[in-house]
Order: sequence, then structure tokens, then C-alpha cells
Amino acid sequence: MSSANLIRIALGAYLLIFFSYLLGPLVVMSLTAFNSSGFPSVSPWACFTFEWFGVLFEDKHIRDGLFYSVVIGIGTVILSVSMGLAASIVLTQVWPRFRSTYYTMIIAPILIPGVVLGISTLVFWDRVGRFLGVEDGSFLYGLFHNGIFLTILGQSSFIASYAMLVFVARLQRFDPGLTEAALDLGATHTQAFRKILLPFMRPAIASASVLAFLASFENYNTTTFTIIDYKTLTTVLAQKVRLGINPSISSLAFIIITLTVFAALIFEAVQRNKARKDAVRRGKLKTGDKGILPSFLRGNPAAIMLVLLSFVVIAMVGTAQSYSPEQCKIRVKEERQIEIQKRIDALKKARAEQQATEAAEAEAEIPAKPAPATSGAFGNVFAPDNLTTEEEEVDVAPEAGSGAFGNVFAPGNLSDEGAEAEEPPKPEAGSGAFGNVFDPGNLSGGD
Amino acid sequence: MKKMPFAEFFRNNGPVMGSLLIGLVGFWLIFLILLPQLSMLDYSFRFNLPPAELGGPKDVYTLSNYEHLLYGSDETKQSFNTVDLKVFVRTIIAAIIVTIFNIVLCYPLAYFLGQAKGAGMARLLVVLLIIPYWINEILRAFALRIIFGETGLLNEALMFLHLASEPIDFIRQDVALYAGLGYAYILLMLFPMYNVIESLDRNQIEAARDMGASWLHIHRRIVIPHAKPGIASGSTMVFMLSAGALAAPQILGGPSSLWFTQLVYQWFNDSLNWQQGAAYAIVLLVSTIAIVLTFMKIFKVNMGDIGK
Repeated sequence: MSSANLIRIALGAYLLIFFSYLLGPLVVMSLTAFNSSGFPSVSPWACFTFEWFGVLFEDKHIRDGLFYSVVIGIGTVILSVSMGLAASIVLTQVWPRFRSTYYTMIIAPILIPGVVLGISTLVFWDRVGRFLGVEDGSFLYGLFHNGIFLTILGQSSFIASYAMLVFVARLQRFDPGLTEAALDLGATHTQAFRKILLPFMRPAIASASVLAFLASFENYNTTTFTIIDYKTLTTVLAQKVRLGINPSISSLAFIIITLTVFAALIFEAVQRNKARKDAVRRGKLKTGDKGILPSFLRGNPAAIMLVLLSFVVIAMVGTAQSYSPEQCKIRVKEERQIEIQKRIDALKKARAEQQATEAAEAEAEIPAKPAPATSGAFGNVFAPDNLTTEEEEVDVAPEAGSGAFGNVFAPGNLSDEGAEAEEPPKPEAGSGAFGNVFDPGNLSGGD
Repeated sequence: MKKMPFAEFFRNNGPVMGSLLIGLVGFWLIFLILLPQLSMLDYSFRFNLPPAELGGPKDVYTLSNYEHLLYGSDETKQSFNTVDLKVFVRTIIAAIIVTIFNIVLCYPLAYFLGQAKGAGMARLLVVLLIIPYWINEILRAFALRIIFGETGLLNEALMFLHLASEPIDFIRQDVALYAGLGYAYILLMLFPMYNVIESLDRNQIEAARDMGASWLHIHRRIVIPHAKPGIASGSTMVFMLSAGALAAPQILGGPSSLWFTQLVYQWFNDSLNWQQGAAYAIVLLVSTIAIVLTFMKIFKVNMGDIGK
């Protein structure tokens, strides 16, 4: 009994670890989309904000990337689904001895690294262009060096294999007798295909298209080589993530995650509804006409979650219109300012001690050295400092505890003025350093 | 030999559909797969010449691009190109480790889900699993970067708990990279495994248990042999994709450590030496395929099992 419990606990812990590894990063990333801090993070939580969504929608690169991603996605779906369907039909007819070789050939593109596919596509079409002797500026040259054209070809080369796998699974349940019957009744091969096989394959074509579009949409390895002058959403994102991050990417991720959750829930809800209807039809389940919930929601947790999630999203969009984090931002700025002030004081103390020991030797060098390093920090700090202290001391300070604020600000203000008054008695080098440091601070505080 | 089946093929499909099918498959296999690969192979044996000299007397085949991987630009060929070779070996070994890590992590879950046969809780878990599967690879890497960054969540948590006195540089230590690679393709390991284990008849396990087989024995003798095609399929995909990954190393890799695909990328996009890049890509392709085939031979798996 206890060993069974132990196994259950171990299983629970394992599931917890697995799912937090899988979903945790996505949750954290989504949260960073709502933090006003300029670097995507959750732990020093500044303010709840929607501003990153605005930044995202303003971003021209992302909008362009999205457009080209959709164009390429549609092209890839058309090409790869038709090639995959043809390949799967040929697989059912290819003669047995050749069958496994053929299967290896059409499955291989999945296993070829995406980087290699991208490079080979680029190299090959460049060469085709040269072989045909097309001139720079002609239509064909443009086509063979067009990022969209090459990307569709490069992506289709392996996405067709995914589509093929979907079709093979469906074709296994197809009865070739149906086609034969149609042919016997006088249909042409094309008619038989269009009227018999194609309707049978329709669900598979739908799922293969979704799969192909998503695979194309998120592909990076192949696209990054073949895209040349254009940008897809994924390559834009990759560039942004590598060069400099701000949380607008998190807000995009949040949107994508929400859409995915929606799609998954819709799919699940429809499936359950269908299963339930089947059960009702077979008489296994009573319809129970007097439910509180509409029939679609009954016994369908996915549908209920879907409705709840829709409410949450609507509520969120609603608050986003009216919500303004300005008040909070000012408070955060002030808190940070206090922290920086503390740090400055500590630094000052440390420097004073250090200078006391080095006073004798470093008369000429020290004032020059620390000044540039600290002046930047001071300049930044004092610009918002002086502004906010004047504006907000009355409003916000009492909330957070006026005593604490008063205490903290007092030394700050004191040292601001008293720097010159207090420091001079100490070694001469020190006063020079502080004089330099405070200059930019006072300057930027004035504007 | 070849004529007859083709004639039969056209008789079965009619001239229009027959040529459409052959045309599409032929276009795919010849123009999108075979010829591009061959032309990349051809490229890798050529010098990087300016356009004017193409087809000229200098445009001859050479092994110099491959020699560069082995010996570097050193003309005397005295010392090996340790920098690039180290990157290559590291990429392969790390990809193998990531694969093993994924097998170990996924097997229990695949077993649990497979045996639950889509009942209640397990069904919800599968839906939960599908969600991260559709999130962009870049965004998933980005999510891990938020967590592993110097001021990331993990460091903040460690410092808060006083487990670390100062931020640990997970990115430079490559922890982030390995976690990211494992994370990126874990579902490609899980789903093939889950599919085969789901098809295992539960009675087999019951029977073995009734006859006194231990827990370990059941897995070693019944479940794992049955799941072998799924494990092989998942491992192949995870290995190939990790070794060929570009996004995760670019986003999560440390500044000093490179992935082999990044070298290829640099040859192409930074040095504009396509020939050299093609040679490196060929090396990557051939060696990863060789490794997969070797492992398939060792574990006696067929190519037909892949992708099921």
C-alpha cells in the first residue's frame, strides 16, 4: 500500500517537473509582457502595463514580417500539400520491391537539417539561373533570387514530408474498390479522383494544411538562408531577440499563446461535443433537457474553459483601454531613486574611506578617473530624481510610509548640498571628485 | 524493367492524373531535394571565385574547403584546425546527450499517457502538451533566455534563497543552451513514444505481472521492445534537429562557444564564402546521417519505422 503511494507521489512529482519545464517558461514569458520594466523580466516587478502591446502593434518590421510569413505560408501550403498528396498516392501504387527505397526518399527531407536544405536551395537556384544564362534584372533572375520564391521551395521540400505522413495514415483506410467501381461505371480517372478520393481525403487535407502552415510560419533554419532581402515574422523575431530585447516580443508571445490555447480548446470542445452527440444518438446518454447550461457546454469542460477564457480576454482588452499605469510608474521610479540614493551614499562612504587612505599619493589622478564613470550614473539618476521629488513627495510618499521617505530623502538632500560643505575637511582629492560628480547632476536636474 | 510498371501506373491513373502525380513527385524529389543537394556537393569542391572568373581556368575542383575544416587556413597543414573541429565534436556529443536526456525524461510520461488510454486527466495533459508545440521556436528560446539570463528569474530565485551569492552566468556555462535544445524538441520525442506505447496491449503487462515479473523486468522485456520504433523515431528526429539547430544556439549560446551550424551560417552570411559553407554543411549532413544509421544498425531499427 505504502509503495503504491510512493509511486503515486513520485509520479506526481515527475509530472509536476515535466510540465513546469514545458509550460513554466511560457508562463514566465507571458508575464513579462505586462511588466513595465524595459527589459523582459518578472522578478523586480515594476508596474502592470499594457504598453508593450502598443509598442508591438506600432512595430513596422513585425507587421511586414507577419505579412510575408502569411504569403509564404499560403504558398508553402499549396505546394507542399499537393506534393505530399501525390507522393502518398504514388506510395500506395509503387511496386513492392521499390517501396521501402521510395519511402526512405520521401521521408528523408524531415531528417535533413534545415540549414542544409536552405543552403542547397539557395545554391541550386542560383546555379539554375546561371545555367540558363538569365541576365541580372530579367524576370527569371529576379525569380531565382527572390526570397519569397526560394523560401516557399525550401520550406516545401521538407514540409511536403509532414503532409505526406498525414495522407498516408488516411489512405490506409481508403477502399480502392470505390475508385474501381467509379471507373467501371464510366468515370474518367480525373473524375474518379475528384469525386471519390478527394472528398475522402478532405479531413486529411485540412489537417495537413494547418500543419504545413504552422510549420512554415515558425520555420527559421531554412528560411534564414533563403529569405535574402525579405523578412518573415520568425526572422524578425530572431534578429530582435539576438540584438536587443524588449518586452514587446513577450506580448507577441502572449498573443500567440492565447490563440494557441483558444484553438486547442475549440478543437477539444468540438471533439467532445461530437463524442457526446454520438453517445446520445446511441442511447447511452440521456439528453437531460433541463440543464442550466446550453447543450454545447454540458459535460464539456473544454467548452466551459473556452467561454471563461473568452470572458477573461474581453475583460483584459476592456481594461487595457482605460487602464493607465502612470501613477504606479512614478512610484516605481521613486523607489528606484531611493535605492540608487542609498547606493550612492554607500559608494560615497566607501570612496571617502578609500580616499582617506590614498589621499597622500593620488592627488592628481583620482579626480579625473572616477568622474566619468560616476557622472553618467549621477546624470541619469538626478534627471528623474529632482523632477519626481518635487511632484510626488506629497502624493505618494505618505502611502509608502512618510517616515521612511522622509528619512531617506533627508540624507539625500543633505548630501546634495552638503557635499561641498562636508567633504572639504577631508583630503583635497575627494572634494575634487565630488565636485565633478555633482556638476552633471545639477545640470540635468535643472532641465 | 522500369517501363512496365510505369505503363501500369498510367493505366491505373489515367494519362492526366498519372502525369500530374509523377510530375509533382518528380518535381519534389528531383528539383527540391536531389539536385539542390548535388549542387551543394558540387559547390563544396570549388574555389570561392569572383563572378568574372567563373568557368575560367581557375574554376576547378578542389578539396581545399574540406582541408580548411581539418587544418584551418594553415598552408603547411601541420596543425589541426582545433577551433572548428572542437565545435564539430561538441555539437555532435551535445546533440547525443540532449537526445538521451529527452528519452529519459519522456519515457515515463509516454508510458503513463499511453497506458491511461486517453481517459480524463491524461487527455487534458495531451492538450496541454500540444500548446507549447505550436509556439515559435524563437519564442521558446526567448522564454528560456528570460529565465536563464543574468538578471533572469532563476538567478533572482537563487539569490533570494541565498543559494547563490552572485548571479551565475548560465548562458556562458551553456546550461541555457542545453536546456533550450532539450526543450525545443522534447515533444518530437514524446509523441512517437506515446503513439507506440498506446498501441501496446495492456494484457501483456498484466500477464507478465501475474507471472511474477518485476517492475523493471516488465519494462525491459515488454514495454521497451514494443516501444522501440517510437523511441528510434523520436531519437532520430531529436538528434538530427538538435545537431542542425540554429535558433537555440544563436539565442541561448554563450558568446565564446559556437554550434556547428553557426559556423555554416557565418561562412554564408558573414564571410560570403558559399563554397566553404557548403562544405561545412555537407560535413554536418553526412556525419549526422552516418551516426543515425550506425545507431539504427546497433539497435536493429528499420528506416520504415521513422515517422510513424
